[in-house]
Amino acid sequence: MSVQQRTLDCKDLHSYLKTLPAAVLDRLYNHPATCLAVFRELPELSRIYIMRILFVDQAVPKAIMGSWVSPNSARELEDIVKLLTELRVWQEVEMQGGLKGWLLNPTFRRNLKGALLGGGNEWSMKPNTDADPKARGIAVLDEYAMGRWECVLHFMVGSHQHEAISSDALQILQHAGLMKKEPGDNQLSITKDGFQFLLMDTSAQVWYFLLQYLDTANSRNLDLIDCLGFLFQLSFSTLGQDYSTDSMNDGLQKFLQHLREFGLVYQRKRKDGRFYPTRLALDIAAGPKKSMLNSLNASSQATGYIVVETNYRVYAYTDSSLQVALIALFCELIYRFPNLVVGIITRESVREALKRGITADQIVSFLRQHAHSECYKEPPVLPSTIADQIKLWAIERDRFLYKDGVLYNQFDSQADFEILRNYAQERGLLVWHTLNGRKMVVTKEGHDEVRKFWKRHSRNGSM
Amino acid sequence: MVNATEGVLVECADAAMKQLLLHLDEKLPPDKKFILHDLDETHVFIASKHLEFLQSEIDCFMDSVSFPLAEKD
Repeated sequence: MSVQQRTLDCKDLHSYLKTLPAAVLDRLYNHPATCLAVFRELPELSRIYIMRILFVDQAVPKAIMGSWVSPNSARELEDIVKLLTELRVWQEVEMQGGLKGWLLNPTFRRNLKGALLGGGNEWSMKPNTDADPKARGIAVLDEYAMGRWECVLHFMVGSHQHEAISSDALQILQHAGLMKKEPGDNQLSITKDGFQFLLMDTSAQVWYFLLQYLDTANSRNLDLIDCLGFLFQLSFSTLGQDYSTDSMNDGLQKFLQHLREFGLVYQRKRKDGRFYPTRLALDIAAGPKKSMLNSLNASSQATGYIVVETNYRVYAYTDSSLQVALIALFCELIYRFPNLVVGIITRESVREALKRGITADQIVSFLRQHAHSECYKEPPVLPSTIADQIKLWAIERDRFLYKDGVLYNQFDSQADFEILRNYAQERGLLVWHTLNGRKMVVTKEGHDEVRKFWKRHSRNGSM
Repeated sequence: MVNATEGVLVECADAAMKQLLLHLDEKLPPDKKFILHDLDETHVFIASKHLEFLQSEIDCFMDSVSFPLAEKD
């Protein structure tokens, strides 16, 4: 009965890696690019620790490591110890004389050294030696990447003016729970998660999508480790440079074709023997937090297109049906011109969006993110009355919290009440209780258990 | 003797919202009353069968206290 607001869980790089089994992680660290990507995303303190022990080829006692931070940062140290252990970057080992120490994962150590100092096998992708006669500039790549990506989004909002997407992409959308087939209906329809997905910024979308893709990697006979390694390699490549596909095995070639479909790499022809990574790919290892894409969005006028006025009117300078569809998620559209759409934010339109599972914060951050460049000249970008009102409309919906349960009252004595309350509490069945008037509510599922216990107890008591 | 009653626990965001529930309940004829127990400042216990009715009542009430903030033309 209780209504839980669920937001889409978009993991960053580390939380994703933590979900992988230990054996997979160990194999992953065989790749210098992965080690470097993991390393550069670590918090500063853990980077310092790793640098300090990178060239110490033995375990370092905990006591010594602990003395590197001042006592009031002990909490921080605890956090990084936990993080590094979970990522299997280092392990706890028993040293001589029973001392506990930390030892860097030897594979990680070797490959991070390799990444930082060079030597060993070449790990970054080789740029093509012969120049591409039909070289592509950065602008073309950006346009291509966004075009391909929007194709996926277009499909989700159901505007059919664009080409259909491949069955692989469809499968991922379904696997990710972003779209689903209604029973008795052949068409895919967008889910609550899908709506939230649409309002995320592009780099977060790509990252989320890729995670779901990697989830299904094994089922399409792709090696997860190869794919991840390749993605990290991509993220260290140079925009506007073409790379050779010669050294790639069949699995990776297949993976490359998928990446090409989503606009992460550009290839003129399948058999071209070269490909260009795009900004979408360069962003991957950075996760949803910081991204080059956002700087791209900020610099280009094309992506900021929304003006919101304090009278709840929304002006969207766009001719893209995708952008119009996104605005229509929470706006009532009133006028439509070739390059401009005028809408109005009303209580009903926002409530409609909330019912679909979109949160107020997502609406507000979407409006801010896509604000027209003119709006930046006079902050605040989004009038605060609008932002506040959208949040108020959201809060209005959960003034009440409903929970199914069974109420117990009219206890004869305080002792009886406490026994039963403690019993329910220990088993996690207690929803609510008050000493004043001796009342308690237990969950519906727990009612039987609590009742049986009470019967047993009162029978014993009366004997 | 201990008494057990099935129903729905309603947790209100603030005391004023609970008063609204009491007020709604008061106006109803006896067979429609939904509040079983008034528990404390922000909690009431209600009958599950009246939950839908209550939710629509509250929606109506919320609609009646909100007014259109923007002109359409």
